[in-house]
Amino acid sequence: MKKIIITTAALSLLLFTGCSQNAPDLDSKGSSSNISDASALTGDTVSINENAYGNESGGQNNSSADGFQSVYFDFGDYGIASDMENALSKNVNVASSAGGRRIKIEGNCDEFGTDEYNYALGLKRAKSVKDSMSSQGINTSNMVMVSFGESNPVCSSPTDSCYGKNRRVDLRLVK
Amino acid sequence: MRYLLLLLLSLNLFAVDATLRIEKDVEQRSRIALEDASPSVNEKFFKILLSDLKISGHFLADSKHNRGDLNSNFIAPALKSKEYVLRYALTQGSGTKLIIRLLKASDGTQVFKKSYSIPTTSKAPFLAHKAIYDINKVLKYPDISWINRYVVFSRYTTPRQSEIILADYTFNYKKVVIRGGLNLFPKWADANQKSFYYTSYAGVIPTLYKLNIYSGSKQRIISSEGMLVCSDVNKNGSKLLLTMAPQGQADIYEVSSSGGSKKRITSFNGIDVNGRYVDNESSIVFVSNRLGYANIFKKSINGSGVSQVVYHGRNNNAVDAHGSKIVYSSRESQNSFGKNTFNLYLTSSRGSGTRPLTTTGTNQFPRFSTDGSIIQYIKHRGSGSSIGYTNLTSQQSLLFPLGGRKIQSIDW
Repeated sequence: MKKIIITTAALSLLLFTGCSQNAPDLDSKGSSSNISDASALTGDTVSINENAYGNESGGQNNSSADGFQSVYFDFGDYGIASDMENALSKNVNVASSAGGRRIKIEGNCDEFGTDEYNYALGLKRAKSVKDSMSSQGINTSNMVMVSFGESNPVCSSPTDSCYGKNRRVDLRLVK
Repeated sequence: MRYLLLLLLSLNLFAVDATLRIEKDVEQRSRIALEDASPSVNEKFFKILLSDLKISGHFLADSKHNRGDLNSNFIAPALKSKEYVLRYALTQGSGTKLIIRLLKASDGTQVFKKSYSIPTTSKAPFLAHKAIYDINKVLKYPDISWINRYVVFSRYTTPRQSEIILADYTFNYKKVVIRGGLNLFPKWADANQKSFYYTSYAGVIPTLYKLNIYSGSKQRIISSEGMLVCSDVNKNGSKLLLTMAPQGQADIYEVSSSGGSKKRITSFNGIDVNGRYVDNESSIVFVSNRLGYANIFKKSINGSGVSQVVYHGRNNNAVDAHGSKIVYSSRESQNSFGKNTFNLYLTSSRGSGTRPLTTTGTNQFPRFSTDGSIIQYIKHRGSGSSIGYTNLTSQQSLLFPLGGRKIQSIDW
């Protein structure tokens, strides 16, 4: 009996010791300004002014220029509507008399798209205009396309007609 | 002897129970109250601390703005039901100084004490984040280092003009880094947030630059006709996923961070944009209109097959990924004009386990935190916009108001 009791006591002590872990030491010696591990706090960031840029053609940028006419699109669409054929014909005439100068085709969207998709939609619109002019015999090797997404609106009123004016392709000569 | 045996066995039982209780405590959120011991009350700073505690997902914070004495260990009877009391003193003059003491609410024992000081007042929100980050770490909760990170975003100012801004995650701190011109789609270039990529429209065609935010040095990476966006950067910063259109067709390319080598990943006569690395950078998810509407697809970087990831919604036009987790924005109303309902959904790169994260308003620009535990997004509701955060584990959400100008793109 004595042997059993001693064995049990020894086992109990062993188990007790095994389970009695020290509680996590949460106490910290108060340190001073140790904030080097938060990168946002450690350095002064720069501030750059690029106001000299973004106005490369001078004058008004949110419409066609140099005799070209803007081409307008339906909501979410990049196919050229039949009522835009006249504008395209005029643009073909202007392009053919441009004397080989570089032509910029700018795709634009309304404000309802977000992120990258809207910029890709603007580019598809620009490409539709370029392809259409190409099919009418214009040499497009001197044309350059850029999408401005929703960044270049003509107007900002919350009306259908205003949104329609923003879904457009502008053309101009590269200065 | 019998009594001795009984005593030893009883101790065993208590020891086992103690271990179980510790494990249970780790699983639970800590009940905590804040006590402001600042010379003058700063309601804004208190709210930032409160937001930090809440969005961490590890604390149940009392929203009452209590006053207290920094050096005392006395705990008011009303706070004895909490586990911890965070006593702090904020002093602002030409700089900002913050002292915090974390006390056990039961007996006022000090668990942690730290003081912080910075030479500016504008970055005070980052001190709050750092303090809560430290407390979270001391209490051995899962890491919340995302709370200390900068958010970088671009917003439109006037037609064809924008600015790129650094902010803390609550947008209480904001600083313009690039003013003027049209500079879009900022994307962090490295884990330490020393540089970011952005698209400049200063030239005839879009050009991607990398800007060091501390030195101001700028490196030209690549240019492309049509459009150019840095959609994602791999973990070690050596590779970029770009949406480019060198032939006038928007597709996704993997480009070295120097711009030297270029590999076309998608090739489709429609729209392929918004590539994000998934599954240990072996594949990408992206947005494409190859089924006639914007939706989320997946493709192996070296393979040719494209698989549809999302079988829900008719306009899913933005996606972000972390590991195998995917969050996407889905348009759920069909107004051609005016406000549409966009909700965010969480799914996996296999398209399984889809669940909604938002149910009202227009929720766009979803972005994962660096550890994938939090979703950041922009919410438009009524006349106002907010930046929102959802903790995927605790399900807690926070919204912070934004100014009126339209956000173009955001990265965290």
